[in-house]
Amino acid sequence: MPSKRLFDRIDSIQLRGVTKKYDDRFAINDVSIDIEGGELVIFIGPSGSGKTTTLRMINRLIEPDSGTILINDQNVMELEPVALRRNIGYVIQSIGLFPHMTIAENIGLVAKLEGWNEKKIKDRVKYLLDFVSLPSEMFMDRYPHQLSGGQQQRVGLARALLMDPPLLLMDEPFGALDPILRKQLQEEFYQIREKLGKTIIFVTHDIEEAFKLGDRIAIMDDAKLVQIGTAEELIFHPVNEMVASIVDSGKKFKHLDTLKIKDLISPLECMYVHDGSLDIESAISSMIEKNIEIAVVSNGSGPLGIVKLIDLLRMEDKDSKIADHVVEIPSFSRNELLSSSLKIMQKNGHSMAFVMTDEKLSGFLFPNDAFSQVIG
Amino acid sequence: MVTLESILSHTADHLVLVVMTLIISICISMPLAFGSLYNKRFGYVVTKFANLAQAVPSFAVVALVVPLMGIGFYPAVVAILLRALLPIIKNTYIGLSTVDPSMLDYADGIGLNEWQILRYVRLPNAYPAIFAGIKFAFILINSIAILTAYIGSGGLGELIFQGLVAFNNEKILAGAIPAILIAIAFDIIFTRIERKLTPHYRK
Amino acid sequence: MDKEHKGVDSLLLSDLIEVWETNSLTLRTIEHLTMFGIAIVLASIIGVFLGLFLYSRPKIAHPMLNLLNLVETIPDIPLLVLLLPIFGLGKEPTIVASVLYSLLPITRNTYTGLKEVDLKYVDIARAMGLSEKDILFKVRIPLSLPMIVGGLRIALVFTMGVVTLGGLIAAGGLGAALIAGIQLYKINTILVVGFWTGLLAVIFDGLAGMIEKRLQRRYGIW
Ligand SMILES: Nc1ncnc2c1ncn2[C@@H]1O[C@H](COP(=O)(O)OP(=O)(O)O)[C@@H](O)[C@H]1O
Ligand SMILES: [Mg+2]
Repeated sequence: MPSKRLFDRIDSIQLRGVTKKYDDRFAINDVSIDIEGGELVIFIGPSGSGKTTTLRMINRLIEPDSGTILINDQNVMELEPVALRRNIGYVIQSIGLFPHMTIAENIGLVAKLEGWNEKKIKDRVKYLLDFVSLPSEMFMDRYPHQLSGGQQQRVGLARALLMDPPLLLMDEPFGALDPILRKQLQEEFYQIREKLGKTIIFVTHDIEEAFKLGDRIAIMDDAKLVQIGTAEELIFHPVNEMVASIVDSGKKFKHLDTLKIKDLISPLECMYVHDGSLDIESAISSMIEKNIEIAVVSNGSGPLGIVKLIDLLRMEDKDSKIADHVVEIPSFSRNELLSSSLKIMQKNGHSMAFVMTDEKLSGFLFPNDAFSQVIG
Repeated sequence: MVTLESILSHTADHLVLVVMTLIISICISMPLAFGSLYNKRFGYVVTKFANLAQAVPSFAVVALVVPLMGIGFYPAVVAILLRALLPIIKNTYIGLSTVDPSMLDYADGIGLNEWQILRYVRLPNAYPAIFAGIKFAFILINSIAILTAYIGSGGLGELIFQGLVAFNNEKILAGAIPAILIAIAFDIIFTRIERKLTPHYRK
Repeated sequence: MDKEHKGVDSLLLSDLIEVWETNSLTLRTIEHLTMFGIAIVLASIIGVFLGLFLYSRPKIAHPMLNLLNLVETIPDIPLLVLLLPIFGLGKEPTIVASVLYSLLPITRNTYTGLKEVDLKYVDIARAMGLSEKDILFKVRIPLSLPMIVGGLRIALVFTMGVVTLGGLIAAGGLGAALIAGIQLYKINTILVVGFWTGLLAVIFDGLAGMIEKRLQRRYGIW
């Protein structure tokens, strides 16, 4: 049974004096926010400060004790919850893919309930899987437990996009992923965000993620909204010490000129390194088991380059060696100046580089990450 | 007409058979279970076989004893044991072997020997499982002991079968009701003991 | 040597055929499996519905499960004979007793399965815009399926046992053949029927076990 399309686009979301108590403690205390259509607003703050509660009130998973929440000037409490939720995408850290359904069934579930025909559902699912960079023919019929954490989170995003909701709520979507994988997904999310053109409310505890992705950042503490503004506003005009300290931890380094690569290195864990003589099939299973999406290919004496899981999955000849499919990336010594290396990378369009210590691979450099860390 | 005396004497026979086979099962099972602990393959075979044998209907087990031993009290005891041993061995073995490995490491670390580990770590940890196995065995024994009257064990089953042949409802009930009461009484007692045995941190 | 071997083999085989025919074991097996099938289907339907019902009425769940527990405490033959005054001799009391026994494992497992579904799945289902009814049918029930099948497997074993006892109250089936063997003291009959009855039970249990394992693996439960 089709539910009503409540809104095709978001013009505004307004929280007016929203309050929620559990027993005698405030989970949210008199929070008011205006969000514009098309914005990506980040909520950040200490654990227990009320970020999740705020998010879950927007799709009525939690009902406020007082105050109102308006989407396009309609009070959400007056909207039918099932219809409301089908118009809002929801992505959470624990993903929650249903273990008894295939990936295709997971993504297409609500479309089926809406009475779409099989063909339309299948086409939409394929489109969404490709959109989140998972080859659809490989993943449609798998079960969630056969996917790595990163792949599951991509499916979680695809599922949230099924009904093309104009609003997305994302609660620490990358929080459970290891640092390198997290950076990669942030990167991809940053790219597809443009294509999506949706209003997004995004919770994180990672200030770098906030700087990288957010149009505006809302800082919460102790059930209250402390400050909301762009990164620059928060950095230059923090309303209190707490905001200053949160924001400051994200811009450890103020003088780009003097920074060395080692100041911004993302350390390498040995599980990323795979021998070049490995065939694609074994490399895929090893990467899925380790829950990583890129691997460093080495020939014993040093790194040859990287391979991405997504690319390996798409390859026809699964018996060939990964050494034959390496993508070369630049490598720098850890004591080189950051600014010159970044320029080189930018010129050649590289999104990552190796960092070498005494001729040995010791980590990665992600330029976008570096930029967001040196804001200000 | 069924006399009270006949009911009482059949009940006594039944109880003797049940309690005797329960004690024998425990005495045979325990060493075997402890043995399985130090011989993994034996433990594996016992658990597999116990699961398999569980599925075989009691009547088939009782019948299959006849070609081996004929009929009477002792064949009945053997039939019951065939049914009751495996659940106790299996439960005891599982109880003894599923101990938190960190606890074993710790015990090893503070210098307990194999025997002390068994006595102070494994055994207390396994009490609830061992007891559950014994309770389960009792339930099985109490019901097969009725059936074995069919191959001449005597007891309450004898009243029931005599009643069935003679279409004598009174006799049937005279056998059935005490059997039910025994089952319920033991169930209550066992549940009590079980509660005592479960350490309160697990409740 | 070779001859002797053949002799023994054909002797066994001819014995088997003779026992099979004189006891009409094909017919007995059909009777046996028919009672078994009817009882299991009935118990599954009633048990699953009762489990669903108790899930929707948590207040009466406990007393009801306790009642079923009490039924479970009654030994099998007394339960069977208590039903005689109501149903007479034959297949009906056998089937009813099987169903009564099987109800507890199926109902209990359905109820616990539904209740113990990981709340994160229910929460995300709600967030996706599933109605409470959809959540029950698309999420809770499918996720409890391995648990329900586990209950069904226990019920299969109980039912096989009770159906075999049915022979004692003129229900036919393989129990009747066992009785014939014991009463006439025919060793071959007892051996053939005893092993055949056991084998059938083990096969059904094994099949159910395979389904249970497959469900668990498919869901990635372990
Ligand atoms: N269902 C609940 N019952 C009681 N307290 C809750 C519940 N949900 C959240 N809280 C409390 O509300 C506060 C805010 O929680 P939450 O919004 O989850 O914080 P955050 O997402 O910022 O970590 C916390 O103190 C938390 O303990
Ligand atoms: Mg939270």
